[in-house]
Amino acid sequence: MNEQFQKALDFSNYRQTLAVQRRELKDRVSARLTYGFAGGLFKIDQTLINFVQMLCDMQRTENIVLIDSNDNPILVENLIEFREEIMDRYFTSTFEYFEEFNKLKTKRSVESLIND
Amino acid sequence: MTNGVLLYAHNSRDIDYAQLSLISGGLAKKNLEVPVSLITDESTVDWMKQSKIYNKAVDIFDKIILQDRPELTNYRNLRDLSAQHKVPFINQTRSSAFKLSPYEKTLLIDSDYFVLSNTLSEYWNINQSVIMPDAAKDINYKDRMKYLDRYISETGIKMYWATAVMFTKNQEAKTFFELADCVRENYETFANLFRYCPRQFRNDIAFSVAKHIMNGFEKPMEYTLPSLLTSLDRDSLDHVSDTKLNFLIEGDINGKYYPVSIKNCDIHIMNKKSITRNYENLVNLI
Repeated sequence: MNEQFQKALDFSNYRQTLAVQRRELKDRVSARLTYGFAGGLFKIDQTLINFVQMLCDMQRTENIVLIDSNDNPILVENLIEFREEIMDRYFTSTFEYFEEFNKLKTKRSVESLIND
Repeated sequence: MTNGVLLYAHNSRDIDYAQLSLISGGLAKKNLEVPVSLITDESTVDWMKQSKIYNKAVDIFDKIILQDRPELTNYRNLRDLSAQHKVPFINQTRSSAFKLSPYEKTLLIDSDYFVLSNTLSEYWNINQSVIMPDAAKDINYKDRMKYLDRYISETGIKMYWATAVMFTKNQEAKTFFELADCVRENYETFANLFRYCPRQFRNDIAFSVAKHIMNGFEKPMEYTLPSLLTSLDRDSLDHVSDTKLNFLIEGDINGKYYPVSIKNCDIHIMNKKSITRNYENLVNLI
């Protein structure tokens, strides 16, 4: 096999591994942004955070019904506590995403993608 | 309410399910911080004692529940990289989980399903009697899964995966497990109705049929467990380092394998031989 072709294949393997590692990281972050609360399940995203923050700004912080990711109504007795929890999870997860993503960007070989 | 994890292990000549259950149980206990129980049989326990892993089992498992060893009636082809073997396996007793589980809320998992994160902890308090994953996700993200991994037949209903089942001890879940057992006992009859292949009994199919019937023959809005990240049996768990599981994944271009590592992600590893090859290092993760 000629050397250039072998190089291309090696690069293709690198791209394949990199793509899987990125998706795996994204899924891991996504799983961490799933929040089980009061019998419901919430996906913590910017929409949820914005809506909750808006309600807090309007001083509507007690006995609020939120629609969860499965379209079920869930009663949140204390919205401030709920907001703290989702904010904390959101920032922890996205910061981890940022750090790990940047680490992946600097890896230039299959070995470093897997072993570091 | 007591939450806990439940596993089955019935050894066969080819696969050491006792070893698999130790790793799977240990990881679930560590990452979900709940007790774990094992349903097994006398001969598997004898093998654990002989192979000197019984003490470890006693450490890991809250309860070791013995049942009669079921008859060996099922065989399947298992690949290990390019090698292929026809191996016996025992899978027809899972519906007894409802009766035997010591917990009010149980997560029933296969012994080749490794809980490496606490994601499933978010599901304990969901108001639904039986929750299962309704999808599997290929580890190489190129979807080597076929139509029959998504539906029970070409014209059939959606497949739920019995690899992980969370259930509450209540009347609804009891009916579900009784119905799944009824499907198992009358597998060919239900195959005529639901058009699946009856040659080999699969819990995924029996549970999917039971779920479909319990859901009023519809697909309702319901909670499901996260999609199962799955490495197929043609892939191999190559080695374990620190918190990472390193796999060799079969590529689809030139038949070559390429490496992928996984950490902090729950994963279903179909190549069981590759798990037992890495037993020592996997036990260190517990």
